Amino acid sequence: MHNRALPYLLTLPSLILAAVVIFWPVVDLIQIATHDVSRFGQLRDFSGLDNFAALVADPDFIKALLRTGVWTAAVVGGALLVSIPVAVILNTDFYGRSLARVIVMLPWAVSLTMTAIVWRWALNGESGMLNSALRGLGLADHNIQWLASAATAFPMQIMIGILVTVPFTTTIFLGGLSSIPDDLYEAAALEGAGPVQQFRRITFPLLKPFVNIAIVLNTIYVFNSFPIIWVMTQGGPANSTDILVTHLYKLAFRIGKLGEASAVSLVMLAILLVFTAIYIRLAMRGERA
Amino acid sequence: MIAPKLKRTIIAWGLLAPLVVVTLFPFAVMFLTAVKPAQEVLTPSWWPSEFRWRNFYDMWVQAGFGRALFNSLYVSVIATVGAIVISIPAAYAMSRFRFAGHGAFRQFLLVSQMISPIVLVLGLFRLLASFGLVESLNAVGGVYMAFNIAFTVWMLQSYFDTIPRDLEEASWMEGGSRWLTLRKVFLPLCVPAIAVTAIFTFINAWNEFVVALTMLRSQESYTLPIQVFSLVAGRYTVEWHYVMAATLVATVPVAILFVWLQRYLVRGLALGAVK
Amino acid sequence: MAISKWKTGLLAGLSVLALAAQANAGEVRVTVAEYSAKTGPYFQEVEKAFEAANPGVDVKFEVVPWDVLLQKLTTDITAGTNADLSIIGTRWLIDFVQQGVAEPLDGYITPDFKGRFIDTFLSPSIMDGKTYGLPIAASARAMYYNKELLEKAGVANPPATWAELKDAAAKIKALGGENYGFGLQGKEIETDVYYYYAMWSQGSEILDKDGTSGLDSPGAIEAAKLYKSLIDEGLTQPGVTSYAREDVQNLFKQGKVGMMITAPFLSNQIKEEAPKLKYGVAAIPAGPTGARGTYGVTDSIVMFSNSKNKDEAWKLLDFLFQTDWRAKFTQGEGFLPVNKEEAKMDYYVNNADLAAFTALLPDARFAPIIPGWEEVAQITSDAIQKVYLGEGDPEALLKEAAAKADGILKK
Repeated sequence: MHNRALPYLLTLPSLILAAVVIFWPVVDLIQIATHDVSRFGQLRDFSGLDNFAALVADPDFIKALLRTGVWTAAVVGGALLVSIPVAVILNTDFYGRSLARVIVMLPWAVSLTMTAIVWRWALNGESGMLNSALRGLGLADHNIQWLASAATAFPMQIMIGILVTVPFTTTIFLGGLSSIPDDLYEAAALEGAGPVQQFRRITFPLLKPFVNIAIVLNTIYVFNSFPIIWVMTQGGPANSTDILVTHLYKLAFRIGKLGEASAVSLVMLAILLVFTAIYIRLAMRGERA
Repeated sequence: MIAPKLKRTIIAWGLLAPLVVVTLFPFAVMFLTAVKPAQEVLTPSWWPSEFRWRNFYDMWVQAGFGRALFNSLYVSVIATVGAIVISIPAAYAMSRFRFAGHGAFRQFLLVSQMISPIVLVLGLFRLLASFGLVESLNAVGGVYMAFNIAFTVWMLQSYFDTIPRDLEEASWMEGGSRWLTLRKVFLPLCVPAIAVTAIFTFINAWNEFVVALTMLRSQESYTLPIQVFSLVAGRYTVEWHYVMAATLVATVPVAILFVWLQRYLVRGLALGAVK
Repeated sequence: MAISKWKTGLLAGLSVLALAAQANAGEVRVTVAEYSAKTGPYFQEVEKAFEAANPGVDVKFEVVPWDVLLQKLTTDITAGTNADLSIIGTRWLIDFVQQGVAEPLDGYITPDFKGRFIDTFLSPSIMDGKTYGLPIAASARAMYYNKELLEKAGVANPPATWAELKDAAAKIKALGGENYGFGLQGKEIETDVYYYYAMWSQGSEILDKDGTSGLDSPGAIEAAKLYKSLIDEGLTQPGVTSYAREDVQNLFKQGKVGMMITAPFLSNQIKEEAPKLKYGVAAIPAGPTGARGTYGVTDSIVMFSNSKNKDEAWKLLDFLFQTDWRAKFTQGEGFLPVNKEEAKMDYYVNNADLAAFTALLPDARFAPIIPGWEEVAQITSDAIQKVYLGEGDPEALLKEAAAKADGILKK
């Protein structure tokens, strides 16, 4: 092309916009994390890695770190397991397909915070509508105290996490599926391949790049997701459903340890960076990520 | 013998049933709580003794819903239009030019998605505050715009990549300038992709919570998620029927968008996302 | 440094977009916590009346949901965009004072003005002899009991001691059905406080005399064991760790709970939402020695040191603390009067519910004025939740928590 500057000119506005939002706060975070900082963010002495050391020494942080791994893997994995078959079904031609698609997408239409509030309300032990539904249907004979302990609360939160991740994931897969030409299937059918074989030979390989995208983006979003756990349990009881974001929120805005909170967020950023780098290397080799 | 499509229909709905039930469950809870008379809200019975449609009207007035609805629309539109207008040139450049830093830019965009808004908000707020942009709906719209840039550029570029260059080249042959070709040939082909990307941005902005909460301070400028949240958060008593009514009504505009764009959504994404 | 150059560059670029938003002369911004649906309208009314009486002063009330108040204040103060006045939890005040954020008001306070307040509620806002805040909301806790349930269970008088409470709860449980004796809060704000009620009645305090945590004292351990035994014997609602204060109050409004401890505003809610409920308010049960304690809470309105319109802000404070405006606020929200004149009004004098609360005031404890109090409270809540869940021996859990708390208290 003749004009060498043109592509840079065209990308510049978006680069600046994205950079302002990211670059500035991150610089800020690094400064806060490496300084002794007052309750209201005034920087005092440079403290090096003290804030990070304090984190490592905190058993709650380590537990939250591990739990974040479980949370992210379960929600991303679960959403994947649900979304692939759902997308395959929604890609076939049946009566009411448009309606089904809209229903599957519905959770996307509500802000996460409100979804979590509604679920918290529905999961209430005595006046929650889930318990009364289960009892009405004869599926439970006493009220289940869903949010009273992590043993029931955390799986519920994961379930809700999956539920709100499915619309986005399914939409991506639907896109992938509709780009697969029908004649591929017809040819396979002629060769006597059944539906399962068709899925394994045609659908899945062609869907793979979409799966990779979904995994990377969902991991980023779920890892950072705050409202579901915060609204329902605030990471409790006794920090037993805490993930890194909720831990960070408590550190920053409850207890007022802005330095440690900033350190947590840098650790989180590092984890995501490493994860995506490795994942893109391994899974997306040969593709343009 | 039943028709194959009917058979498929039964199987499809049968398989989808569990997901449909779980998906609709919270909406059923919202709806039924929203129409309950105030005294029945706390009893866990499913069916209200009478349908109080008035709750919607009362909520609208008491919660100042109209104002919040307008604010939400306002920031979402700013974010959507802005993000699209800024990312089209970038995506076009990424798709049609080879230039140094191409890959790095793309990766940078991905990295920009990696920081939780909760974390960003403190630094961002300090930045905006130093310019006196607090309490400005425009600034909130601008932040949403910036948050969504990465996604919109990615989506649009992926879609642009799928549009064959032959069409543009043919137009150049005929003496069309790059600009003319862009306008008359290229962009019309991109309308579905642009529509889909716009919807994504719109939904994200519509539902965004943390930034709005931090930046907006008066009831007059609250967006819907904040307005509804303020009915719940830390009040000594919560009027659940209003909360549920508000949540439900806030869902409607987006749900209508889904119905309308459902076909586009799938087709547009088909070509985007991956390439 | 390269980074700071970058920053200045960005700043310069952005400042083109910036709007001037300096505080206008005569403008007073006030951050207020939203206590109920009535809070917003009340302050709107104040705004109108005040502006009418003080032409040239422009008041802006910014109503913030209570749950995110501290978050908003933190971000605002960090960025220097805080209002002129703000309502804060008085327990946060020491942090504000230590960081030099709150302005002492002594220069404005006349003896006459000071005389308007009931000392019990003003004193938590005084530090090192300086008044940093004025109590805008005050409450204490007392025990609500469901008259009908107690009657049905054959309990004549509301229990006066924890032993009687346990006994009454057992009788309510024996009624069968979904009736629970004692509503025990085990989640979110004030989970630790709910435990202090029992602890205080055992003669223990949050902080020992030497300033270390009292959580490892025999009384504190006894109290934890008492609550645990209530849970184990089925005398509380099931799943206590999923019940925040509001959830327990809802159970009480539904008539499912025999007794619970909470603030005066529950009376207002019952009046509006469950008018048929027959209930009474009594003292918090006492321990074996007759010791008892209630939790006194005030929220203070503070002036920020960086306010540019302190005189106007003070005028507004003076206006807010007139008896009539106070009464309207207190009665609407269901708090206790902080003004002496206000307390003499019929509304308070002839109100049996409120009398129970005011009678408890001599036994009121306020959150200790120590930096890092929120963290200590968090540690206590976590430990007591573990006790409720049965995740370990109460004594061991509390001793561990006390050690942790001491680590913070030493700093």
